[in-house]
Amino acid sequence: MSTSDSKEQKAENPTLSVLEEDDEFEEFAVADWDDSQTDLAHLGGAAPGAAKSGGDKLWEDNWDDDDVEEDFSIQLRSELEKTKKAKEATGESMQT
Amino acid sequence: MPTDFVTYLSQINNAVIAENGNDLAYLLRPTSPQGKDLVKEFRNPTKQTLRRFEGAIMSPWDEIAISYVLTCSHVARKRPGEAFKEHSQLVSSFFRFFTENRGWTLPALFSILRDLRDLAFDADLHAKYNDEKSEAMEEAARIIAKAFSNCITDRTSPPDQSRKWGIYYVVGLILKCYFRVKRISLAKNILRALHANDIPPLTSYPRSHQVTYRYYIGMLNFLNEDFEKAEEELTLAFYHCHTGAHSNQERILMYLIPLRIIRGHLPANELLDRFPVLKRLYMPFISAIRKGDLSGFDRALDAAEHTLLGLNVWLTLEKAREICMRSLFRRAWIASDKSTRMPILVFYVSLKISGIEITLEEAECFVANMIHRGYIKGYISHERQMVVLSQASAFPKIADRQAPFSYMTL
Repeated sequence: MSTSDSKEQKAENPTLSVLEEDDEFEEFAVADWDDSQTDLAHLGGAAPGAAKSGGDKLWEDNWDDDDVEEDFSIQLRSELEKTKKAKEATGESMQT
Repeated sequence: MPTDFVTYLSQINNAVIAENGNDLAYLLRPTSPQGKDLVKEFRNPTKQTLRRFEGAIMSPWDEIAISYVLTCSHVARKRPGEAFKEHSQLVSSFFRFFTENRGWTLPALFSILRDLRDLAFDADLHAKYNDEKSEAMEEAARIIAKAFSNCITDRTSPPDQSRKWGIYYVVGLILKCYFRVKRISLAKNILRALHANDIPPLTSYPRSHQVTYRYYIGMLNFLNEDFEKAEEELTLAFYHCHTGAHSNQERILMYLIPLRIIRGHLPANELLDRFPVLKRLYMPFISAIRKGDLSGFDRALDAAEHTLLGLNVWLTLEKAREICMRSLFRRAWIASDKSTRMPILVFYVSLKISGIEITLEEAECFVANMIHRGYIKGYISHERQMVVLSQASAFPKIADRQAPFSYMTL
């Protein structure tokens, strides 16, 4: 990576400059270890690849939020009114 | 007391006779204390001046020991190019012994190959700094590929003492070289040989070998746009990784998180809190997806563009924008009391208040796309400018989508 590149990256966000494409996967300090020293413990026996509903609390698969803030609904309604009025005023011509 | 060369020779000899691979690994490492002692003992050693030691111990260990002194001397005198060449000779001499022996030699093999790669790294870096051409890393990959054949062709050792137990470690090292020089297409040959031979299952190898191998296979698939396979391998790499190897886990998650987002699995805070750098990078996208904040998503893409491009994850996150748009449309649907009939105008307006200025036709096109890709269940009545939504699940859970990666390569 050239110096001008790294400068640009710094301007972007200083905390991200620690991420480098050239960083390498490091040698492990030990050759082998058992389940208790891994994140398999989070799985509660489930196979890796699941999410919360499958027993893996590190990933969320039920994140749809049914509580839409009042703000959004009000904004949506008022904007809808405005657009409809504009549409009536100019006939159907808003579909440009 | 400093180790002199005669003592060093006998230490090597003893380790070979005792078949002690770990001692051999230690004795062949340029960074071990005896390396410094030997550099002091021979002020300016050459092949010629050390020739008198040939035959002092059994072949090829006399040559290996001589190469060792020369390598240490080059390292100490900051000649990385020469150090790499000399160590390459040491490795070649070692192969002559290795192919005649069993798996007890593997710790020594791993150690000298690791040093070979590190010395190649230094040699190339030094050459680049001096505006010279150097292909030490390519050469290292070729030598390590020989070690791979020497491991895989062991047909005589008893299974538990087979050189085949070195295969995955060595493949991990070769892939690391290929990634370094950005020549990942070379991996094909090694992987073909790997699959064509009878070797023990990956899961019976030490975890460090498994995780490194899976990381690189995951990355290969990621770069070749086989995202499903990439996600599978990186997931296994992550879950079998030692939790103390923080930067390796971070490296795996850097690619795994965008892939899991596409699948509709958002990293929980419990996970992100352990990796502040990744939290910083990905949180803006995750929050935007949860809220359906499309302009927030675009701002995040813009702000981190350089980093994301450098890491090769920009395209993956750009694909996740669809998920954010789906959240926005879902919000509009909730705000419309989950009506099964929604004018296209509502989607148009929701995009507008999210800062996306488009025409009504374009909004209709987005909705059509969402339906086509399974984000929304329903159909569009173009004449009535109305979207008729499925009664049951108008916005199916993202995680339930079939073949989530199928649209990514379009």
